[in-house]
Amino acid sequence: MDEATPRVTSQYLEQFQNRTIRILGRVTQLRGDQATIDADGQVTVILNRDSHLTLNHAVEIVGKVQSDLSVRVLNATDFGTNIDFTAASAVVDATHRYREIFYGAPDA
Amino acid sequence: MSYNNYDNQYSTTSYGAQGGAGGGGFMGGSQTSPSGEKNYTKDSLRPVTIKQLMEAEQISDQDFKSDGAEITQVTIVGQIRNVAQQTTNVTYKLDDGTGSIEVKQWTDSEAVNNEDSNESSKLAENMYVRVWGKLKSFNTKRHLGATCIRPITDYNEVSYHLLEAAVVHLYFTRGPPGGAKGAQNGGYGAQQTEGHGNEGMTNGGNPEVGRASPAAKQVYQAILTSPQTNEGLHFSDIATRLGWQTADVLQAGNELLDMGVIYTTTDDHTWAILNM
Repeated sequence: MDEATPRVTSQYLEQFQNRTIRILGRVTQLRGDQATIDADGQVTVILNRDSHLTLNHAVEIVGKVQSDLSVRVLNATDFGTNIDFTAASAVVDATHRYREIFYGAPDA
Repeated sequence: MSYNNYDNQYSTTSYGAQGGAGGGGFMGGSQTSPSGEKNYTKDSLRPVTIKQLMEAEQISDQDFKSDGAEITQVTIVGQIRNVAQQTTNVTYKLDDGTGSIEVKQWTDSEAVNNEDSNESSKLAENMYVRVWGKLKSFNTKRHLGATCIRPITDYNEVSYHLLEAAVVHLYFTRGPPGGAKGAQNGGYGAQQTEGHGNEGMTNGGNPEVGRASPAAKQVYQAILTSPQTNEGLHFSDIATRLGWQTADVLQAGNELLDMGVIYTTTDDHTWAILNM
């Protein structure tokens, strides 16, 4: 079965090491093959060839959480500039509070 | 705004479903037949996550239940992971972060060259879309038969959909918000039953009464909470219970009659609660 990719913000990264997650943040820095996004806190993302991030745009990243809590990008989707991050944080909160409809245990 | 709509929509349906599932026994106030209401449950459109679809309980060949309520028409929001053009349909693999499911849209052979087919050919991998459709099962594998697929243009719709799915899930598993189970939505019958011997209740039964004058509310409450036959209460009886002048009761009663929340029974001055 396909694995779920739980939506997280920076605070959840530690709990999700080595797992594939989804994180929505605003691009604050671009430096070659790395970037920093703000997702209720700064997160370093390691880009792949296909990811095209735009400074100050919101981006949704599906990626794997590394042991240093950076995120290795598998897929990045530009969400533009009109994103309500309060709603996005509410989704992350709901995801973990009512996980029964969002994701299962790592080995489920 | 939309939450109110959902309250109404889901209350009727969920109570109907409970009546049906209760099995035997007289359900207070279930005036319409439970089996009749069940059909409405099936027809309601429910926002869900893909995980809910994959885990929905299969109750018969093509019928599914989620959180105890029957589902067929659903809406999901997800990202297209794969597009497979086939002779009779287009199969999209959709991923919403909670799981993935195949979405099949049948090709309308008579509409090959019109705008509809152009629109669906615009759907490409990694796009976010909203799908309306029916959950189906074929050879134990589940897919969504799509009625309509529309690209997402405002990405806030992704957050919106997930929050809406959570709200509806909580509605079915925990009841309406604020612990006011049935107080304002639908549960007239249940309220009526509880009403006897619960004098402390300030407002039960019909939500319309909320708009009435304080005097009318008290009269309504008196009728609601006093033991009575199905002929209701005579206004002099209400006057005695409240310790009021009969003229005041009459005035309040007329207000309630005008609102349509009580009705006259044996004569013009004997009133009963109108149960919807």
